[in-house]
Amino acid sequence: MPDPMTELAQSLIDALALGGLYALIAIGVTLIYTVMGMMNFAQGEFIMLPAYALYLLAGVPFGVAVCAAFATGIGIAVLAERVAFRPVRNADLAAQLVTSLAVATILQNVVSATVDARAQSVATPELLSESSQVGALSIPNLEILTLALTVLVLGGLGWLLYRTRIGLEMRAAAENFEMARLLGVRANRVIAIAFAISGALAAMVGVLLVMQTGQVSPTMGLTPVLVGFIAVVIGGFGRIFGAVVGGLVLGALSSLLGTYLPDGLVPFRDAIVFSLPVAILILRPQGLLGAATGEARI
Amino acid sequence: MNGRGLRSPASAAISLVVPLVLVVLTAAVGASGTPSFEETVTMILCNLIIVLGLQVFIGNSGVYSFGQLGFAASGAYIAALLTIPAIFTALQTPALPKLIADAQLSPLPSTLIAALASGLLAVVVGWPLMRTSTLAIPISTFAFLIVAYNVLANWDAVTGGTSGLVSIPRTTDVASAGLWAGVAVVIVLAFKWSASGYRLQATREDEVAARSIGIGLMRERLLAFTISAMLCGIGGALAVHESGTLAPNTFYFAASVTTITMLVVGGARSVLGAVVGTLAVATVNELLRNLEEGGHVLGLISIGEVPGLAAIGLGLILLVTMVALPDGLTGGREAGEIGPIRRRLRSPVLSTSAAAAMDQASPRSARGSAGSLRAEGISLAFSGLEVLRGVELALPPGEALGLIGPNGAGKTTLVNVLSGFQAPDSGSVFLDGVDVTSWSPARLARAGLGRTFQAALPFAGLTVAESVAVGAMGVGVGRRRAVDVAANVLERLGLSEQAQSPAGLQPPGNQRLLGIARALATGPRYLLLDEPAAGLNDEECRDLVAILRGVSEDFGCAILLIEHDMNVVMDLCSRVQVLDDGETVVVGTPEGVQAHPAVIEAYLGTSYAEGAHA
Repeated sequence: MPDPMTELAQSLIDALALGGLYALIAIGVTLIYTVMGMMNFAQGEFIMLPAYALYLLAGVPFGVAVCAAFATGIGIAVLAERVAFRPVRNADLAAQLVTSLAVATILQNVVSATVDARAQSVATPELLSESSQVGALSIPNLEILTLALTVLVLGGLGWLLYRTRIGLEMRAAAENFEMARLLGVRANRVIAIAFAISGALAAMVGVLLVMQTGQVSPTMGLTPVLVGFIAVVIGGFGRIFGAVVGGLVLGALSSLLGTYLPDGLVPFRDAIVFSLPVAILILRPQGLLGAATGEARI
Repeated sequence: MNGRGLRSPASAAISLVVPLVLVVLTAAVGASGTPSFEETVTMILCNLIIVLGLQVFIGNSGVYSFGQLGFAASGAYIAALLTIPAIFTALQTPALPKLIADAQLSPLPSTLIAALASGLLAVVVGWPLMRTSTLAIPISTFAFLIVAYNVLANWDAVTGGTSGLVSIPRTTDVASAGLWAGVAVVIVLAFKWSASGYRLQATREDEVAARSIGIGLMRERLLAFTISAMLCGIGGALAVHESGTLAPNTFYFAASVTTITMLVVGGARSVLGAVVGTLAVATVNELLRNLEEGGHVLGLISIGEVPGLAAIGLGLILLVTMVALPDGLTGGREAGEIGPIRRRLRSPVLSTSAAAAMDQASPRSARGSAGSLRAEGISLAFSGLEVLRGVELALPPGEALGLIGPNGAGKTTLVNVLSGFQAPDSGSVFLDGVDVTSWSPARLARAGLGRTFQAALPFAGLTVAESVAVGAMGVGVGRRRAVDVAANVLERLGLSEQAQSPAGLQPPGNQRLLGIARALATGPRYLLLDEPAAGLNDEECRDLVAILRGVSEDFGCAILLIEHDMNVVMDLCSRVQVLDDGETVVVGTPEGVQAHPAVIEAYLGTSYAEGAHA
């Protein structure tokens, strides 16, 4: 039996790893919200399709399959933006949300129709299903990878947003889209790039999820997209750092509840995890990190 | 004057009868077909009730809830558990309380209990959810759907877990489903045309303007959310008594997408849209489902079994609708409001009886005579920038006070503070001696403080008459009297002829007047006008001054007027307060202020010349 301290450290690392994964999802959702004010339901399918790329490419070298997964994620995100989301770019939030719901439904069911509606299992590389021994702790390699990727993505995104021209354009577009456009920000390009990055992040999440669960299913994106949405809401809309915090909070909560909830209540973990943020929203309607916004229009 | 007032009786009748006829026809077609066809039609009618439920909330509030199917699920489970014979209940749901397990109710009471229980659940769930922002409601309701699913799928001993329930009596037939659908149409239309319905529609058109006329956003949303949930509960209860089986995913994500597609395709804002959309989408859905099971297209192409085909079709329909026809097939109009029909019906010009006009003349002026609107030491900074610095203001009853100053002087911010839209950092606002600094805009409006905005903020989707009447409804005036109030106000402002036209299609001058009319309909004792003459030509300006002078006298309300057009200020105001850089420069008579050296320097001398062409 591990002593309580080791157990606590172990569950904290688990919590951090799940939080990192959720943060990656939330960044993908919030990037798109930032540049075009849309909560994208299809983000879940941007996660699901790359996972299917891994499934369909079983047998080819793992690295190649992962590259294909990223290409799928980026490709589908950019395509969806061009075909479905550009025409509703100026519609209100509700219309955009419903449009993305349509895209999600189509993608989900295309997979159901062409592959299979049921879950399929996927073999994962041995290295990722093993654990590394760190002192008294045994940390799954997958968790180490997840955490490393989260840190890498955060660093990369910080560099992109604050050190490059396209990052500046993205931040300008986030502040005031019309004004940014008047000042020469190339709207189509900025939005396309945001979708591409979001698609790449979704692919990363898709691959990590397959490694974690060993299976794919057409509806596997549903819970992640809700996680992403809630993380964005509790982090404060349109704030990338807020989304990261929201993701970490949600992931840590979920992981710790899984460990410490009484047995009878464990099946209801998701119900509890998804109910708690509502409490945060009542106390702070603008989210944890969102600033209290004034009446901008009057 | 006629009781409905906001539309002609013929238009109202057509709007009610057309969807009812569609329901009756659907039921009749279903009854004349094979048993399996009848079952399909029965299910479509059950779906229609759910879609009508969605319309109540989504259509009137303009906010998407993805959680309403959770209430269909709750209604279905409760109705099922109340009707499954005790011997089957013991096997499927061993931990069910004995009272429910033994219950074997007939269809009507079980459906009614399901509706009540779903409504109750909606109050409990909606109370926190409706407090979240407009942006967050779609997400928090989606979370509720997943939570509901999670509970239903895992609470095995009570709900039968993922395998669900069987042996549910199949008591719903096409006639009873049709009857309920007809009842639902009447309820949904009655809500849309009620004071509550109009208040909610006003929040859909413009949240800020709605708050300024006394509408409590959360309260109106919660009421519609609850009615919506009850209808969804009824739909779920009837559906489960049609199919005879129930599982947690019966009313889950796929069903949410289907019902939302139906609503959106028809046009979410109208009840007719809910009916037309349901029938259209269900028809296409059934055709695709036949293909899904394999078959021939026109006897030419042979298709094997393709699961998901119907859902792909559904997604494509939804996508095309959102891109090409965002207001749906009906354009969000009821049957009596559709172009050719509308033109055929003579629109009733609102007329008001003398009694009603007298009645309306400032319903609150009696008890307000002693008080005043007063601001003391108002200071406010936005991220370090001091916008208001210790501003004092007093507006006694019946007076017209001009508030002038260069752009950026803090005039609008002061009005926002007075009307509750912006909390000051320090200082207090008193209304008739009561400290109202922390009151919400809606509460202040109900206490007799009306305002307009620099932008017209019209309720674009309502008619002129509706968008004024809703001003009175906003402060709690009943529907019938609100119509009289609107008629009176519109007559005073010379807008009676436009009463039945959409507010959003009015020319800018009229929209500006409409903003004033809407505020007047709340029966304000203090009316704050933010640049009412901006964008008006000289003639319109003169008319406006005449109207405002009449208003101030007849309605007995005090006016605070922000205005750049000095002629308007001089004509109307008995006192003028000059604000510059967040501070009061001088308060005095128009003549005195114009001659004041500090004003000439700070305002008239420098910025006024610039302001005139700005």
